[in-house]
Amino acid sequence: MSKAVLGFFPYVDKLLRAAQRLKDAGFTDIEVLSPIPIGHEIEHILGEKKNPVKYFTFFGSVAGFIFGTLLALGSAALYILPRYGKPIWPLTPTVIITYESTILLGVYITLIGFLIFGRLPCFRERTYDIKISIDQFALLVRAKKDRLIQVEQIIREAGAEEVKRVDEK
Amino acid sequence: MAHQQQGTSNISYREVNDDVIKSMTETGRGFYLVLAVCIVGLALTFGLPWAYQIYVGQGVTGLQSPEYWGLYLTNFVFWIGISHSGTLLSAILFITQTPWRRSIYRSAEAMTFFSVVTAATMVFIHMGRPWNFYWPFPYPNQREMWTNFQSPLMFDVFAIGTYSTSSFLFLYFGSIPDLAAVRDRVTGWRKRFYGALALGWRGTDREWHLLQKAYTFCAVFIIPLAVSVHSIVSWDFASSKIPGLNKTIFAPYFVIGAIYSGTAGIITLMVILRRALKFEKYITKVHFDKLGMLLVVMSLLWTYVNVTEVFTGWYANTSYENEALKYRMFTTPSAYLFWLMIACNAFFPLLYIFRKIRLSIVASLLISIGINLGMWIERFLIIETSLPRKFLPFMWRDYHPSWVEWSITAGSFIFFTSLFVLFVKFWPSFSIYEIKEDIGIPMERKGR
Repeated sequence: MSKAVLGFFPYVDKLLRAAQRLKDAGFTDIEVLSPIPIGHEIEHILGEKKNPVKYFTFFGSVAGFIFGTLLALGSAALYILPRYGKPIWPLTPTVIITYESTILLGVYITLIGFLIFGRLPCFRERTYDIKISIDQFALLVRAKKDRLIQVEQIIREAGAEEVKRVDEK
Repeated sequence: MAHQQQGTSNISYREVNDDVIKSMTETGRGFYLVLAVCIVGLALTFGLPWAYQIYVGQGVTGLQSPEYWGLYLTNFVFWIGISHSGTLLSAILFITQTPWRRSIYRSAEAMTFFSVVTAATMVFIHMGRPWNFYWPFPYPNQREMWTNFQSPLMFDVFAIGTYSTSSFLFLYFGSIPDLAAVRDRVTGWRKRFYGALALGWRGTDREWHLLQKAYTFCAVFIIPLAVSVHSIVSWDFASSKIPGLNKTIFAPYFVIGAIYSGTAGIITLMVILRRALKFEKYITKVHFDKLGMLLVVMSLLWTYVNVTEVFTGWYANTSYENEALKYRMFTTPSAYLFWLMIACNAFFPLLYIFRKIRLSIVASLLISIGINLGMWIERFLIIETSLPRKFLPFMWRDYHPSWVEWSITAGSFIFFTSLFVLFVKFWPSFSIYEIKEDIGIPMERKGR
């Protein structure tokens, strides 16, 4: 179990100020918890986040494309069904089935990517406060024990309304 | 603390949470009354007639040669059409970053999902033997009755299956932050229920970042998917050789009609939700104004494709096509329905050109209901005036739907309403976090 500091801010500019000062002081394990997305604002300070979900989208779509093609063409080959002069391996209907399955698996696997990298679902107790889902913006800073006082001081000076120490499991 | 919106509505973040969660947790007599009416109505108009049809057989319907596609498929196409604007409009407005989307999109997405479910029930009812519903799914079996992927009906299975699951996931994943907000405010079984649905969401910068990326990718997928779904539904008809159905314009015609009826459906729902949940400060006249303008555009497009359809049929000048057009446009009783449809869909919506009409809630309600009445008639006429006039006169036979079909048709509307009534009670019907985004990020230097 390690210690961390959780500071609540009513205003985002105060939170950003605190985040900047923490970063300047050499703290790197900083997490923002907020009731709305403030990605653009925080990325300027904490750096741009990677987007691994796009790879899931791409490979999901490719998997869907292959699945749809194999399903339509493969089943036509396995279960031969002559239809008054039409080809056994028809291209046009295959395109439609492939199109739909590309989207289907694209959507599914994108969302699986979101769950994996967002570390969801997670039902064990984690640092959180219900005020965050209402109107408070919070900074969660993990640091060595001897530097926690410094973290609290920076957060308070930046204008946090409440600062508390929390146990991180 | 209060994050006050600069402007007329003056809403705080806390107020948004309070209002939406209150609509879910505080239940008045009106809700129970509506729910009771829905349950009784559903049993009488939907459940019992369907049970009777299963027990006696499809003979209780008015379906006979050459008309084997009756009211059930009219309803199927109608509900698929209604489903279109919800998720599609939400996705388009999300990608174009349109701010007025935020108050309406959650209900619109739910409308999509419930419409698709309602449409699916029509297919089961039309089947006659609904317990064989799994036959179109591709699975290895001993009978070697493998699915025929060249059939437009199989395209339907794939398109609607993809659309319904994608729409549901789009709705669910977009709701996770709001489900977490509800989790944080409720107790007892609700806490466990919403806790499970929220998946442990905390609102970290990583979670927001990934959700927004995933949601954007899904929105990009949803737009071509929605277009493909109604195109494929149109090919159920257009890929046949029946006069009146075999039209190359059917795919764009159906897509335009679907967006048109879906947008009108959103307006009807907005009026009802605004009144029932007292959400006047979230669904403002701006929403009616914008959607009214969209309806004018859709009305003009719909009129254009209708004129094109009739013109090309008339210009072809084949006896089959001429008879199909004459039967639809000038032979009673279908002629009454045809011209009522034209009035509802081509003329009355033009009233939306006037800003005063767009801002009028009563006018919006009447016009939007009129549009969907017209769109239902359109689907009815497409099916019910083509098949009874198939080629030679010895094949002609008028279609008269039975009371069972009419009852189940009415029941489908009650079914949809019931699902929606349950939705507003169990799901945040407005996006809490996006309305907050609309209010603005609280900055001290801005005075908020």
